[in-house]
Amino acid sequence: MKLRIALEGLGACAGCEIAILDLHEEILSLLEDLEVDYAPILMDKKILNENVDVLLLSGSVRNKHDAEEAVRLSEKAKITIAFGSCASFGGIPGLANLYATRELLERAYLTTESTDNKEGILPSEEVPPIEQVIKPLKEWVEIDYKIPGCPPQPKMIKEIFQMLLNRKPVTLSKKTVCDECDLKREEKKIKRILRWGEGEPDGSRCLLEQGYFCAGPATRAGCEAKCIAALTPCRGCMGPPENVTDQGARMVSAIASVAAVDEKDRVDPEELATMFKDVVGTLCRFSLPSSIISRKVLERKSK
Amino acid sequence: MPEKFEPYIFGFLCNWCGYAGADLAGTSRIQYPPNLRAIRLMCSGRVDPAFILTALKRGADGVLVVGCHPGDCHYINGNLRTERRVALLKKMLSNLGLDDRRVRLEWISASEGEKFAVVVREFVEEMRALGPNPLEGNMNET
Repeated sequence: MKLRIALEGLGACAGCEIAILDLHEEILSLLEDLEVDYAPILMDKKILNENVDVLLLSGSVRNKHDAEEAVRLSEKAKITIAFGSCASFGGIPGLANLYATRELLERAYLTTESTDNKEGILPSEEVPPIEQVIKPLKEWVEIDYKIPGCPPQPKMIKEIFQMLLNRKPVTLSKKTVCDECDLKREEKKIKRILRWGEGEPDGSRCLLEQGYFCAGPATRAGCEAKCIAALTPCRGCMGPPENVTDQGARMVSAIASVAAVDEKDRVDPEELATMFKDVVGTLCRFSLPSSIISRKVLERKSK
Repeated sequence: MPEKFEPYIFGFLCNWCGYAGADLAGTSRIQYPPNLRAIRLMCSGRVDPAFILTALKRGADGVLVVGCHPGDCHYINGNLRTERRVALLKKMLSNLGLDDRRVRLEWISASEGEKFAVVVREFVEEMRALGPNPLEGNMNET
């Protein structure tokens, strides 16, 4: 019997589904053993009524409809998988947690440069109510496995399908991106955090040690450090490695560990902190909703 | 009127300076408020930013990190690493809406019992003025 799978994107960009198509011809050999029952982003079928073996849910839960769909579909599946970084830890949409819901709606419907909404109407009819905060999918439905990546790498997807076909538990790499990276690490002394595009990176040396912000030390391996091989620093899309809850906190540690602290050659801590234009958005880019402090909080006014 | 707010302060003290300073304050019978719960670590460099975040998440009103003066670290530069970690973490906290005064880093040597007491007194008063931690955690749970 073929393994029957369903795919659904919640608050998603469809990139995760396209990543499956990026298997190209190899998808044909996979289809000998598995059958895609439902995938509205890829196929013309509007509703799933029958039960399936594996459900791959991508995207974030941004509104009531997403939440209800997640629950309804996961009840039809034996195995539910959070597919991609949004479902696994909140992903890019999770950065909306830095703003109040009112601010988000006002920006989206009133103040963007291309908005033409003179009456200032916020949609209220026939649209599902927005959820106040983005939470990782495991807060909504029971998740058996998560497959991180923005999007997950096709090679990894293939390996995971193979694990599912062999009825084996899905396992991810326990290493970090640095373990997969070929660049040479030597002395650990940085005085400045460079923004991407500043200067010319040396193609043989560790990017973090050259001053470029690279999230490799705080990011799970599995992507074969592809971005870094193209001399683009890691942004951390694979999320925190095994046994790390807070990717941002781990990255804070890593940066402090490469900062220059010699007597003659010392970077000022306050200056180091101001070298980041957007600390949370840079250090927790993909994982804010599953971080220890997962959203903006409000201090009560002190007397 | 509600009860007077008593801040819950978490302290990470290094074995060689901070904790020894606290010890000296104790043996010298210097008075300081009992709001501090001290944890001894071998070095302030052991303080993972995740420890501080977890303390705040669970409702600590303030987190005090105490290490050796620069140059005095038993492990050469653990305290300097922490200095940079705390600076970055404070920036992160203020972006997340928390007052960054809730995290405080101090250098206190083993001979500075008086300074330890002064720092704790000041910090508790500062947190009392700032009010309770807005995160939902409760220190009495777990």
